[in-house]
Amino acid sequence: MKVRFILNNREVEVDVDPREILLDTLRYRFGLKSVKRGCERGECGTCTVLINDKPVYSCMVLTVQVEGQRITTVEGLVNDDLFKKIIVSFAEKGAIQCGFCTPGFILTAYALYRIKDKPSIEDILKALEGNLCRCTGYKKIVDALTSIRS
Amino acid sequence: MSIEDPYELLSKWFEAKEYLVVGKSVTRSDSIEKAIGKARFLEDYYEPGRMLFVKQLLSTEPHAIIESIDYSDALKLTNIVGVFTAKNIPGINNVGYALPDQPLLAEGKVRYHGEPIALIASWDIDDAFKALEMIRVKYKRLTPIYDPLEAMERKDILIHDEQGSNIAFTTKVRKGDIERGFSESSTIVKNTYKTHHQEHAYLETEAALAIPDIQGRINIISCAQYPHLAQRIVSKVLGIPASNIRIITPYIGGAFGGKDDEGPLVAAKAALVAYLTGKPAFLIYSREESIRIHPKREATIIEYTSGVDDNGYLKAIKVKIIHDTGAYTNRGPYILWRATMHSSGPYYVPNAWVDGYCVYTNKVPQGSFRGFGNPSIQFAVESQMDELAKKLGIDPIELRLKNLLRPGMDTITGQKLDHSVGVADLVDKLARKMEWSKVRRELEDWNKRSNRYKRGLGIGVAWHGISTSRGVPDWSNAYIKIERDGSVNVYTGIVEIGQGTPTTSYRQIVAEALGAPLEYINVVFGTTDAPDTGATHASRGTSIGAIGVLVAAAKIRERLNRLASDILKTNPENIVIRNGRVFDKISNREIRWEELIQEAYNRGVEVSATGYFYLPKGKFDDKIGQGFAYPAYSFVAVAVLVEIDTWTGKVRVLKAWPGLAAGKIINPTQVEGQIEGAIAQGIGYVLYEKLEFGSKGEILNADLTDYVIPTIQDVTLDVEKPVYVEDKYKYGPFGAKGVGEMAFIPLPAAIANAVSHALNKRVTTLPLTPENVLKLIGGL
Repeated sequence: MKVRFILNNREVEVDVDPREILLDTLRYRFGLKSVKRGCERGECGTCTVLINDKPVYSCMVLTVQVEGQRITTVEGLVNDDLFKKIIVSFAEKGAIQCGFCTPGFILTAYALYRIKDKPSIEDILKALEGNLCRCTGYKKIVDALTSIRS
Repeated sequence: MSIEDPYELLSKWFEAKEYLVVGKSVTRSDSIEKAIGKARFLEDYYEPGRMLFVKQLLSTEPHAIIESIDYSDALKLTNIVGVFTAKNIPGINNVGYALPDQPLLAEGKVRYHGEPIALIASWDIDDAFKALEMIRVKYKRLTPIYDPLEAMERKDILIHDEQGSNIAFTTKVRKGDIERGFSESSTIVKNTYKTHHQEHAYLETEAALAIPDIQGRINIISCAQYPHLAQRIVSKVLGIPASNIRIITPYIGGAFGGKDDEGPLVAAKAALVAYLTGKPAFLIYSREESIRIHPKREATIIEYTSGVDDNGYLKAIKVKIIHDTGAYTNRGPYILWRATMHSSGPYYVPNAWVDGYCVYTNKVPQGSFRGFGNPSIQFAVESQMDELAKKLGIDPIELRLKNLLRPGMDTITGQKLDHSVGVADLVDKLARKMEWSKVRRELEDWNKRSNRYKRGLGIGVAWHGISTSRGVPDWSNAYIKIERDGSVNVYTGIVEIGQGTPTTSYRQIVAEALGAPLEYINVVFGTTDAPDTGATHASRGTSIGAIGVLVAAAKIRERLNRLASDILKTNPENIVIRNGRVFDKISNREIRWEELIQEAYNRGVEVSATGYFYLPKGKFDDKIGQGFAYPAYSFVAVAVLVEIDTWTGKVRVLKAWPGLAAGKIINPTQVEGQIEGAIAQGIGYVLYEKLEFGSKGEILNADLTDYVIPTIQDVTLDVEKPVYVEDKYKYGPFGAKGVGEMAFIPLPAAIANAVSHALNKRVTTLPLTPENVLKLIGGL
């Protein structure tokens, strides 16, 4: 099936099997390696992408469902000021260890900060509860995000 | 003695009074590339259709003879290139690390539900899955055993016939005279403790890509924690020389020991397909396969008796440790050995009798996981200490301070520790800083006023031997070369699994010792192109693993000092090289780093070196379990505050106070990261995580929906800054000991002691799920 959507601000069209998941489309057809495969059942959040600015597990979305939608991965945000602020804070606070969950966390945090300048701790925890990290214990991730509250 | 003698060099840098970059929270070199998705992990190298996709056929029986494997239909699918079983292995189908008991692919018999039997090689992912459904394995069922206590007794059912027993391995310690010790004891406590498996749940599952090259070599992009071990295993399985196998390691998405066990086997399976087909072969474990196949944290039963005299001094311990090693020993004997030699805790015990048993069952194997046999035994030790304190009517910290090891004392194996024993200082400092006695008193008052919720404060103190156990050889090595432009390449086999060793501490150590700017240092990690560096396990990356890095850099620095003294016409002792500035501290004459390196090339001064260092060890007598166990110990203490909802049984950790005596701290932020991560993983283990086994010994919750690891809402974010006692170790780089595993080790003990304190009931069985807590309270 032919599907057209906006990927990182660029209009794209792909011909996919109806059962292909967005995670595979992004990795295999577009080479977007930031979208990680962690559990393939919507639990871990490593495959998070933004669909119309909202964080979504790309392993739980069929590619045919995103017709006409706007998909964003970290590759599409490298020149964005808010994104840069978040990644620099993650780096400086030591919030990145193995890094496998990192793009997912950053996209989820980015989506939160786009709608709220000064989220509360509760907002941050609520937003990030769908992203798992096995290395950091989350403390430095929260530190990184609270330190950029404007 | 040569000017490049490693002992001299280590001791020179050990004495450093001030540091340029060591001890500072230098930012990792990999952070930004990880944040923007540029850092490569294993699956990022897979190109569908251009390389073979490998799928594993796993056993659906726990204990059975394989009568036949029929894959003729599968071979008819267009994209299937081959199906390979044990009989296709050209070399030796034996990958056991401690004992030769484990095949790469099941041969003759399967011993656990989930054991790999065959590899399907397909150009297409979908066809690989179709083929999987088309293979028929005919089994003759044998009676399985799941309970290690039953397995120890049974002689009629043997999981490994060739062993003649289901007891795979035993250990012992015999120190002093325990009868006398117990007769001198006025208070004796005896309990049986039980701990459960833990799944690593690294977010990246296991994978490998094997690529044959034109010279008959095989290049493997691997997730193993020890590239040179993966090389040895592949060499054995394929029957080709190790020199024909090259391992490289990209960034690894978490490992925690699991990829130390499974990593080389993943590499061997991908390599086998590549070798047999001549095509690049990619193998990735799905989450379910990862949980079903790879070895888990030890599940244990520990009987522990300890006695103290009237003054609160430990007089004797008697311990029986049983490890359920599952279908294969894997590293089980080493894990049991470590548990046995740490079974006193970091305390002086004059009389000890310890027996350990590593027992086969028809379950997933036991393996390496952060702490390696130590968290379970420290849980028993520290529970005993709290019970003894309670019976004696003294504070738990006071009892510990009376008995903690101090320099000059001997351990349970009779090994005298002459230096680097900071544990008593650590516990004292931590207790003062956190106001232990005050917090505990306040909680007891709080509990009197609170009916539904109860709070408790508990501590776990632990020790962990650095390096391999007994006299087993351990060494360090690295290769460093300075390029003509002054930039520096460091080659190491140590891998980057998230801990930050190659991306922070190695850069810091090299920049410190060479005096080159930090940003000039590039570390090429995880490669067999480096000399054999040993594994990235046992908390040894920045400790033992870094000795070679420091020695290599220090050798080159000696040469540069002499060269600079020639150029600047002064003595080598007057040369200072700091952040790329090279000057004579007397005359202040100066040249730039780049000029110095250019001169080295012009004048024939070698600016490359290896840093081999063989760690001196003593003798160990296995018959009595006495002698040299480890070159040094790291020490750790963590106190936790918990709150229990006595209506629901739910436990929450509200706060944690960590402390560490691990010698010189090379990078405080990275050390905090290890501590905070270990605390969260410990909270997961004790409160949430448990593998459930079905009637066939199969793992019922082989996914992240039903195997629950903590989210950001389930951990405490209130982790205090660690208390450090820098009890430097003479052979450690700048005196550093290991860190990675430490904070996990006392966590089960600390949480269990806090819960026991809150409820005034002794926790002896983990995990502390709501159900188990309600049982403990008497509410179920």
